[in-house]
Amino acid sequence: MKLEKYFTVKKLSLLVVYILVILTVMLSIAPIIYLVLTSFKEPELTFAIPPVWTFKPTLQNYNEVLGSTNFGKYFLNSIVVALTATGIALMLGTFAAYGFSRFRFRGHFWLKMSSLVPQMLPPIAIVVPLYVLFSRLDWIDTRQSLVISYLTFTIPLSIWMMTGFFDDVPIELEEAAVIDGCSRFGALMRVSLPLAVPGMAATAILAFLYCWNEFLYAVILTGRDARTLPVIITSFMTNKAVLWGRIAASGSLVLIPVLIFALLAQRYLVRGLARGAVKG
Amino acid sequence: MTQLIHSKPLHRFYRRFEPAFYIAPAFIVLAIVLLYPLGYSLWLSVHQWMLRSFRQGVPFIGFKNYIDLFSNPDFLNSIKITFTFVIIAVSIEFILGMLLALLLNQEVRGKGLFRAMILLPMMCTNVVIGLMWRLLLNYQYGLVNYYLGRLDILPVEWLSSPKVAMASVIIVDVWNTTSFVALMLLAGLQSLPDEPFEAARIDGASGLQSFYYLTLPLLRPVILVALLWRFIDTFRIFDVIYLLTSGGPARVTETVSIYVYRYGFQSFNLGLAAAASFIMLLIMLIIAGLIARAIQKQE
Repeated sequence: MKLEKYFTVKKLSLLVVYILVILTVMLSIAPIIYLVLTSFKEPELTFAIPPVWTFKPTLQNYNEVLGSTNFGKYFLNSIVVALTATGIALMLGTFAAYGFSRFRFRGHFWLKMSSLVPQMLPPIAIVVPLYVLFSRLDWIDTRQSLVISYLTFTIPLSIWMMTGFFDDVPIELEEAAVIDGCSRFGALMRVSLPLAVPGMAATAILAFLYCWNEFLYAVILTGRDARTLPVIITSFMTNKAVLWGRIAASGSLVLIPVLIFALLAQRYLVRGLARGAVKG
Repeated sequence: MTQLIHSKPLHRFYRRFEPAFYIAPAFIVLAIVLLYPLGYSLWLSVHQWMLRSFRQGVPFIGFKNYIDLFSNPDFLNSIKITFTFVIIAVSIEFILGMLLALLLNQEVRGKGLFRAMILLPMMCTNVVIGLMWRLLLNYQYGLVNYYLGRLDILPVEWLSSPKVAMASVIIVDVWNTTSFVALMLLAGLQSLPDEPFEAARIDGASGLQSFYYLTLPLLRPVILVALLWRFIDTFRIFDVIYLLTSGGPARVTETVSIYVYRYGFQSFNLGLAAAASFIMLLIMLIIAGLIARAIQKQE
């Protein structure tokens, strides 16, 4: 009798758990779904009251976005800048993380923490001097100026995440390789690095998304040529009107890689961030 | 090569500086990228750089910019607003995030899918988040007011009333980043050992007791790291607030970043803007340093 009661309570609480989880999921994705729906609406329907949920989807907004701007070019800018900044940071960050993970020396902890300082710099504080610097080099409105500015946050992120992932690779494997005649560097390249590949993938994805989503540097350091997608989205807010349909359409396009990566890497992303300091 | 390393002094040199070979390149690149901007910014902060006078020269004025800032009510206001925003938003995110992590730590089917969906807000492009919520919170046409109306609640001036704007900005930030906190805490929860909890159950501890006396202390390191990240990101938040309210109405959402933007890019008083951003950096370094110390003590 008592046992039975216990089980119903348990079943009931599991139901509550499911309801709460599904509620959270709905809250998380409802605004995004609304954005995507809006992107397929005729502009007149955007502000219809009561809101329209069933309508004949149109590609009008997408056609306007793709036709009126050099969307393809800016898409390419976003990809090239994000990939380059991520690649450089991943390489440097992986080696630094290996150093932090495998060696203990004086000031180890604070040196590792200090790698986060660039992450703390308010972008608004360094964007003015960067602008001055790049205009002296005649680099305003170029992709390399964006790549360089993005290194300020992708390198710290890579160091932080990769340290956590290297800590998960047992040092004994490297020791065995060294005994078998590998140099330490060889042991890193042949043993630990391959084992840290999932971590590198997660780090790369997160760094890529940080660059992909970045707005302030992009809006100030670029003009016509090197613009990235987030800047394009805000360009549909003109003095005369806010073109919500086009904002929704370009916003949805920008979110596509985000959606793909979130699904692919969810398991590793957060673990990497959490591990960084926990295992010191 | 092996021969060389076996010679004693060289070996010692190599051993001593081996970590540097790995660590230095990243730090050197960071230094190259940041040295000029930081140096120039520091220089600006002790000079008077104004759009209308800089062609006649940029006079050195010592700490005048800093002194001016501390007697400027708008700046002091922006610091107060930043702290209000950080403290309230981060607290809510931790409370909700902890509840969500505990939920997801149950035996739930389809956990991976749920986790990915909950992760979406934190990975969204900030520009999209800002604009999307501006549409949702629109006073006349927004969905939020419409559905509140269906529940017989009067429409709220989410973004245009000085009383509500701060709450709206916090709501959007909570929507954006609670999942980050939750998933980090979840990662922590899953790495906790089972034994202490079993022992507690045998000793007759209630769920709440074992949460308070076991889960929380054991999670401390993860909580601190999550706190460090959230603090850094919330304190310097710019784009979401800029697109939602631009710091308005009546400056109730003007954080330090927005203040710096206003002085730097609208009034072009670059010296003052640089000084303000250094004060902001200093505050961040102190608080982040305190959190980092707490993390260090854990180890």
